[in-house]
Amino acid sequence: MKRLLLNFLGAVLVLTLLGPGAGKAQTFTAGDIAITHAKIFTLAGPPIEDGTVVIHEGKIAAVGAGIPIPAGAQVIDAKGLQVYPGLFDPVTQMGLSEIGAVNATVDTTETGSFNPDVTAATAILPSSAHIPVTRASGITEVIAAPASGGFDSRGASNLVGGQASAIHLSGWTAEEMLINKHAAMVVDWPGIETRSFDFSTFSIKEKPFADAKKEYDKQVNELADYVEQARHYAQALQSPGTGFQRDVKLEAMGPVVRGEMPLLIFADRARQIRDAVEFCDKQKLKIILAGGTEAWKEKDLLRSKSVPVILRPTLGEPPEEDDAYDRLLTQPEELRAAGIKIAFGSFDNSFARRLGQNAANAIAHGLPYEEGLKAVTLYPAQMFGLDAQLGTVETGKTANLIVTNGDPLEVTTDIRYLLIKGQLTSTDNKQKALYEKYLSRPKAAR
Amino acid sequence: MKTRANILCLAAAFLVATAGLLSAREKPASGASLDAAAPVILIRNATILTVSHGTIDKGDILIKDGKIAAVGGTLKAPADAVVIDATGQFVTPGIIDCHSHIAVDGSVNEGSVSVSSMVNIADVLNSDDISIWRDLAGGVTTANILHGSANSIGGQTVVIKLRWGQPAAKLPFEGALPGIKFALGENPKRSNFRVSGAPERYPATRMGVEETIRGAFTEARDYKKSWDDYNKRVASGEKNAIPPRRNLKLDPLVEVLEGKRYVHAHCYREDEILMLLRVAKEFGFHVQTLQHVLEGYKVADEIAAAGTGASTFSDWWAYKVEAYEAIPYNAALMTRRGVLVSINSDDAAEATHLNQEAAKSILYGGLTHDEALKLVTLNPAIQLGIEKRVGSIDVGKDADLAIYNHDPLSAYAVVQKTLIDGRVYFDREKEIAGRAALEKEKKDLLEKAQKKQEEEKKAGAKKPEEKKAEEKKPDEKKSEEKKPEDKPKPPQDDAGQGGAQ
Amino acid sequence: MSWRSVQLRLRAFVLLGAWLGLLAASAAWGQGGEPRTFAIRGAKVVPVSSAPLENATVVVSHGIITAVGTNLTIPPDAWVIDGKGLTVYPGLIDGFTDVGVAASAPPAPAGDGGARPQQVVSRGPEDRPATTPWRNAADEVNPGDPRVETWRSAGFTTVIAAPKAGMFPGQAAVLDLGGERAGDLVVKSPVAIPVSLQAPGGFRSFPGSVMGGIAYVRQVWLDTNWDTQADAIYEKNPRGMERPKYDRSDAALSAALGKHPVVLIPGNTSLQIRRALRLIEEWKLNAVLYGGQMGYEVAPEIAAKKMPVLVDLKWPEPEKDGDPEATPSLRTLRFRDRAPSSPAALGKAGVKFAFYSGGITAPKDILPAVKKSIDAGLSPEAALRALTLSPAEMFGVAEILGSIESGKIANLIVTDGDLFDKKTKVKIVFVDGRKYEVRESLRPSEPPKGDLTGKWKLSFTTPQGQEEATADLAMQPDGTLTGSVTGDHGTGSVFSGWVSGDKFRFAINISLEGSSSDVIFTGTFEGTSMKGSIQAMGYTFEFSGTKPTRMASLQAGGAQ
Repeated sequence: MKRLLLNFLGAVLVLTLLGPGAGKAQTFTAGDIAITHAKIFTLAGPPIEDGTVVIHEGKIAAVGAGIPIPAGAQVIDAKGLQVYPGLFDPVTQMGLSEIGAVNATVDTTETGSFNPDVTAATAILPSSAHIPVTRASGITEVIAAPASGGFDSRGASNLVGGQASAIHLSGWTAEEMLINKHAAMVVDWPGIETRSFDFSTFSIKEKPFADAKKEYDKQVNELADYVEQARHYAQALQSPGTGFQRDVKLEAMGPVVRGEMPLLIFADRARQIRDAVEFCDKQKLKIILAGGTEAWKEKDLLRSKSVPVILRPTLGEPPEEDDAYDRLLTQPEELRAAGIKIAFGSFDNSFARRLGQNAANAIAHGLPYEEGLKAVTLYPAQMFGLDAQLGTVETGKTANLIVTNGDPLEVTTDIRYLLIKGQLTSTDNKQKALYEKYLSRPKAAR
Repeated sequence: MKTRANILCLAAAFLVATAGLLSAREKPASGASLDAAAPVILIRNATILTVSHGTIDKGDILIKDGKIAAVGGTLKAPADAVVIDATGQFVTPGIIDCHSHIAVDGSVNEGSVSVSSMVNIADVLNSDDISIWRDLAGGVTTANILHGSANSIGGQTVVIKLRWGQPAAKLPFEGALPGIKFALGENPKRSNFRVSGAPERYPATRMGVEETIRGAFTEARDYKKSWDDYNKRVASGEKNAIPPRRNLKLDPLVEVLEGKRYVHAHCYREDEILMLLRVAKEFGFHVQTLQHVLEGYKVADEIAAAGTGASTFSDWWAYKVEAYEAIPYNAALMTRRGVLVSINSDDAAEATHLNQEAAKSILYGGLTHDEALKLVTLNPAIQLGIEKRVGSIDVGKDADLAIYNHDPLSAYAVVQKTLIDGRVYFDREKEIAGRAALEKEKKDLLEKAQKKQEEEKKAGAKKPEEKKAEEKKPDEKKSEEKKPEDKPKPPQDDAGQGGAQ
Repeated sequence: MSWRSVQLRLRAFVLLGAWLGLLAASAAWGQGGEPRTFAIRGAKVVPVSSAPLENATVVVSHGIITAVGTNLTIPPDAWVIDGKGLTVYPGLIDGFTDVGVAASAPPAPAGDGGARPQQVVSRGPEDRPATTPWRNAADEVNPGDPRVETWRSAGFTTVIAAPKAGMFPGQAAVLDLGGERAGDLVVKSPVAIPVSLQAPGGFRSFPGSVMGGIAYVRQVWLDTNWDTQADAIYEKNPRGMERPKYDRSDAALSAALGKHPVVLIPGNTSLQIRRALRLIEEWKLNAVLYGGQMGYEVAPEIAAKKMPVLVDLKWPEPEKDGDPEATPSLRTLRFRDRAPSSPAALGKAGVKFAFYSGGITAPKDILPAVKKSIDAGLSPEAALRALTLSPAEMFGVAEILGSIESGKIANLIVTDGDLFDKKTKVKIVFVDGRKYEVRESLRPSEPPKGDLTGKWKLSFTTPQGQEEATADLAMQPDGTLTGSVTGDHGTGSVFSGWVSGDKFRFAINISLEGSSSDVIFTGTFEGTSMKGSIQAMGYTFEFSGTKPTRMASLQAGGAQ
């Protein structure tokens, strides 16, 4: 009872706190926009000096130097500034979690092992304070992935966690934000837990490897069985007999078993990565690997099976004591050089704004600059089949753009203008508002 | 994700396997024995970010006896000096992390009782923690090793230099005043977790947190008085006086009252910040730093008036309710209002890029380049009372330096070398070159161990065979027919049960 | 007639005579009237306190070593043991264990590290969590502890034992591993106060961290010293003074410390050892370190503090059946590789050290662990000393234990080879002058393929002709055999008897040629017939046996 009350109060608190920031952030201008005199990094060719981008009805209508500006267009003089595609964060809990410690605000992970039907878009809070904060750092679209691991998952282990949704970081409702409601099916690949922290006794629990491995194998087999079931269901659904009973969960697996929806598989250890890749190969399912902390140990396999990898923040701790201190920082280039397509993800919401910084650190350790930039723009778009709309500054694509005073991956760069779906979007947010409020607090009496 | 690190850095500590074994990287990269005298070092032709008196383009630094002997210009060095060519590189004071939990053996929290001032981090420094090495590689030379935030009044704390390879006794920063950790808000009142098997612990509200602190200091005040009385009686010649019992919990609180121990208080919300300043005033002690202090920007004037430093994050927020109104402008705003601000890590991984975190205050709040750099160098030095020795590149200070390949206030800067006391404790080039040897050693040891295991297995198998030689031949035949995985089956179906039933 | 056959005949004659004369003797033996004087004659003797002797004799009487040397006069009433091919060592000493101490502990305020929810929560050092220093091993001796026998059979006559569990688990005593009543085992008490820094409480109960444990122990010493001081002052002149509160732990520690035991402080890795040395100095303790496995790194520092060390023989090892893909860290590998070299390093630096079983639970693993340290550089002499005289010195009983010297307690082991050779077996153990034969415990464990219960007629041919004996056996369902064998030379009780599959083995002990001899029967059986060989005094005879079929009940169940 006390817990319920606490959660309720927590939720009330959150909702009242959300009030002021939200409305101000989403200002839109209708009509054509022209960004002029900018250095345009299209990522589809060399940069364009003194260039113009024309935006019409939400899309990029024209890109180039010396192109005509449509009459009545709002002109943004970007002299001395740069234009890039907005950054794309392919693994987040954006909108699914507001305050990690307050359960009432956390909708990332359902209970139970198989939840293929739950869909992130259902639970995304369009007025989440995280959205304006994140886009102010130049991220224009994200994938919100349920059950993507971490503390928020309440310890529940979801083998199939639900469908990740791709969204623009702008919109009054989730529908307005949607890019692709069913972008990928999240699978949290089981791990071998020989040591775990037991919160109830606040101590470490040890399990013999043989037992932990058995548990692991059991879960992998359960997953295989589930896929089998889904296949049979999909087949039966085509010509259902009398008395055929529909199952929303198995039905949701349909696009997966038909090869239309990729599995977004979270795996970090070498064994997990290997088993996940081989599983998908055997089952003929599409895989996008998320996590990949030890991907370098399986790079031959990843390359031979053309598995794209979304890497966790490079500014994390290497998993093993003997790992080189810069293991995570040098890994992106090592994978890329081996012919593996990589992208960077924040795997979070409150730290999503560090996406560019993580890419920059990889660049500082050998990843070519353009690869690093593409790893947070074009490559995630390609991985999710969204590159027709996003990822570069090219005619016909959705106008998700940032106008900056410098390198968008550098920590000191300011996002001067933000365009999402072709609309000029304010970079105001809860944090800016609080800053301005307390900036103007009169000096306190001594 | 950061929720774990923050609410439960306690949990993380449990999982860290710190068996206290000497790590693979035993010696400083320079190869010089740690016992030998530090060589004279000349760092040549670098961009020197002194922090205290501006930037020197293309200058030298001369290091002698572990101290900075000269700064700037073209300097002369003895023939046997070690010359570090820093052309194109940037030298800064070593980073000082004002909130760290590395190098601790066991849990960083004595989380059982609400006042755990009797425990001392200095007792459990762990010189073998690989995080020391990793933070060193991130340019950190000094760290304020704190007790966790599980208690209103936590344990005693210690400032260390990251002298990788030295035993634990050689880590503490000589002469740095000892500290004690307080914690306010959600963590000490256990808002976000329950401990099973124990009754709910007092305090469970912010009101109780205040009273816990007031109660402990009231006790400490009386305890101090009882000792003062005793000392007076002894001084006046009394023979049979029984001294008061030494109370390890109250001793450090008395030191706080006497200004001999710094208070570092973890706090978030504006109201609890003011509460602590008020309580400190009531009991006549000073709060040296407020840690995290994510809502410090709301009460910056009050903090400045109290002369209390603030050590905060760059851009962490939203993992707890009390962190929901955190803003990345916190450091800059407080600075502008006259607070001495530092940016810290509270996390071994975060500490590897504090230079980048400091840079964010240029964007969020418009600090200048040097103001931002101060956030992780001179300011934390002043907060820890060690500014006479570290925090800037000045003649006479310790040669604690970090050399970057790029301006450090950038995501593209990579530490090339880290020096402490004029010794190169981290050299990126040498470290990379040394990896192959370590891998080989590991491989060799693994093979050796495997061979031993196989030998022991064979030896173990021999013994029963020797026994078998005594027995009749038919048995030996049977064992040859057996397959390795077969286990002898109990004769259930034969009627071989005998009459013993 | 060959000289050989003359010898045989002579031998057989003596054998016959001995067997005949043995009825009375074997009947008397084991029923009180224990022999109290023994002589081991013609053996190699390794006194430890002096150079080894070849072809020497040790005489023990009424629990004391009365003579050691060559060309001794053996008392006429002595039970003489032929030491040819045998070696006599001082009984081994396990420097720190809980063997011989009652398993059940009185309820302690704080539990074992969080596995079970605790009843009592400790809110600070004043609650004295996990502290029971008033317990004394001497008062909690459990002679029925099965480890008493297994340790003894592995060659250990003496242990320094303390109750386990807790930060101050209780006082340690020197126990000899033999005796009928609890008091018989106690040699000296208290000899040590062990301290543990394992904080059991977690978040639930104080202390819950290593630093908490250290702070707790520090407070206990302060309080104990204060109590001692305050009590003395109060006793002299109580009027007008507030009465010092009684604290059971402080009182117990104060009393125990008055008897000048050593305080055992843990330190296994370099970090822990250095920390322990600092704490011992801070707390001004007369201490001994226990653990010591990274001595190879810090030996000079330990030597500089003149700190003795008890070295844990459970060397760090890879876990069995661990994750094949998980590689241990380099520093773990280094530790495992170098740990057994610690004793040699300690010795070289001049540190006094002794061994203890530590994490070893099967006593048969103890000497192989010592052998590892010998392979890593420790001299066998130093290894032996660390199992005998050094622990005796460490715990203040070197006047009466630890070497084979006239006047010391008769704790001896008799082996059939060099102690550290893996083929060597401990044959006889003397504890306080009482003789214990070491039985072969090795047995395979297939389920029996039949029932050996019953009266078997055995016939065998010795060099002097056919003989018969009756084996009256009883078999347990798990194959254990008991019973007796009666023959021309007397009756002997069966020991070490087992049946496995269609194989069996049992032994009896009778006196042959004036000395106690094991006679071992091994063989196979099928239904009601058996055959095999008898070993006695180095000779082997074939034998066969039948179980008379008129015992119809034995046929029930269809024994083939």
